[in-house]
Amino acid sequence: MSLSYRIAYVFLRNLYSYKRFIVPTFLVSLVEPLFYLITFGVGMGAYMGSFGGKPYLHFLVPGVLVSAVMMSSSFECLYGTYIKIVHEKVYDSLIATPVSADEAVAGDIVWASFRGLVSGSLMMAVALAMGVAPASPFRLLLLLVFMIFIGVLFGSLAMIVTSIAPSFDFFSYYTELVVTPMLFFSGVFFPLERFPGWMKTLAEFLPLTHAVRISRAVFTGEPAAGLGWSFAGLIVLAAVVFTISIRMMRKRLIK
Amino acid sequence: MIPLVTAAGLTKKYGDLVAVAGIAFEIHEGECFGFLGPNGAGKTTTVRMIHCVSPVTSGTLTVGGLPAGIDNRALKMMTGVIPQEINLDNDLTVQENLVVFARFFDIGRKEARARIAELLRFVELEAKSGSKISELSTGMKRRLLIARALINRPRLIVADEPTTGLDPQARHLIWQRLRQLKSQGTTLVLTTQYMEEAQQLCDRIVVMYQGKILKEGIPAKLVEDEIGREVVEIRIPPEEDGKVLAELSAFPCTHERVGDTLYFYCRDGHALMRKLIELDLPNTLNRPATLEDVFLKLTGRSLHE
Repeated sequence: MSLSYRIAYVFLRNLYSYKRFIVPTFLVSLVEPLFYLITFGVGMGAYMGSFGGKPYLHFLVPGVLVSAVMMSSSFECLYGTYIKIVHEKVYDSLIATPVSADEAVAGDIVWASFRGLVSGSLMMAVALAMGVAPASPFRLLLLLVFMIFIGVLFGSLAMIVTSIAPSFDFFSYYTELVVTPMLFFSGVFFPLERFPGWMKTLAEFLPLTHAVRISRAVFTGEPAAGLGWSFAGLIVLAAVVFTISIRMMRKRLIK
Repeated sequence: MIPLVTAAGLTKKYGDLVAVAGIAFEIHEGECFGFLGPNGAGKTTTVRMIHCVSPVTSGTLTVGGLPAGIDNRALKMMTGVIPQEINLDNDLTVQENLVVFARFFDIGRKEARARIAELLRFVELEAKSGSKISELSTGMKRRLLIARALINRPRLIVADEPTTGLDPQARHLIWQRLRQLKSQGTTLVLTTQYMEEAQQLCDRIVVMYQGKILKEGIPAKLVEDEIGREVVEIRIPPEEDGKVLAELSAFPCTHERVGDTLYFYCRDGHALMRKLIELDLPNTLNRPATLEDVFLKLTGRSLHE
């Protein structure tokens, strides 16, 4: 792979472009958490009693934080990148400069992670306003760092899909058949313990399950079983999908 | 003369399709070198290999003594690209397009600001620096592409059909700017389908067809060698060819029938023309031979689809 500091230039290009969309994207990123936290947390939470001695909202927030990061970074590397390749031809002009195709792709993944961080942070701000806070300020900081990592992971996964996408419609397979189901089977909304055995096994194969487990442990300060394995697994997965995504995109971009 | 670009046995395949079939050429420092050819001849593929965005399948290609390759940053540093397709960044303003590109080439903020002001003046877009790309005309967009290609003070400029879709004013402005760059010592590599463009700009050209180079030379000399000085066109039905050709057999001209027209290629068309007037044929035309005649003779007059 040919990666260097030039990744930052690609990030900078995206930042310039972002200026025009900053208001609508902030609005979307704010409305989404309100939707989740109010409908599920407050509305449904009223019927659910307490989870480990706390209101349901406290169970919900750490999971929704990482799902927001997943959603944002995935969409950025699906639709955002596809537009830049096929419609806007940004990649064509980029790879004719000293910026390599690998750096262009890595730059977009880092950018997607940043977009994820923005969504996650806004979600966190809403949660804080609703009185749900991490166990300590240090843990809040840890969560932000973790969001950046989760953004790179899901951005890279989405980038693999984009590398073989013939058209926009193709993304529906990934969002409807992978991303959305993952949201419901990863212990974001309900504890996994209540699922039947086969579903629990299935859940262990979903990266979001592990991300939620880590997020919840960091948020509440309550240790959970297998945290180390979850973390190690995610790191290996992120390294693998990042590498594959760059290889596959290079195939799409260099002809 | 020192060659800046050297190709030998240069080949590019996409699967089974051979886009460039083992061509050889040399481009000298400071000249304008043109690739001519119909659609699909392999011109764009060739120049894409020169500016290192498309890998060479086989053969050798060196630029400034270095082998061309997609990871050759040193070559990309010294090359400016004016693409065929307008790929300006629509999310960014005119100024921002150049600012971002300057960063791609490691140009510092302060130097970039001065360079951008200078370039916007050069392409007469100073008044548009804050505009969105969608607010520019096609001619302005093409000029901005030139400014963008010059941001790194390139030693080599690759221009892939730089005036496609422009009105005559815009086209002439771009030609002037390209000639100006050449006079400053920049090497220009041009692909075009406009023969006038090649005649206006190029010191030497190659005519490509089906991935091969058919002819190489100085435009004016190619015209004279391949066609002669003059062309006489007679628009008559093909049935009358035999009769007319018998009358004209004494003249030292070659002829060709294409569609509804009989073409004569001559060193001097005057004598032939006088004979045609004597024969009282309607629809005759005597004109100087152009590069377009060479092009059509070499690549055929039928459609390339």
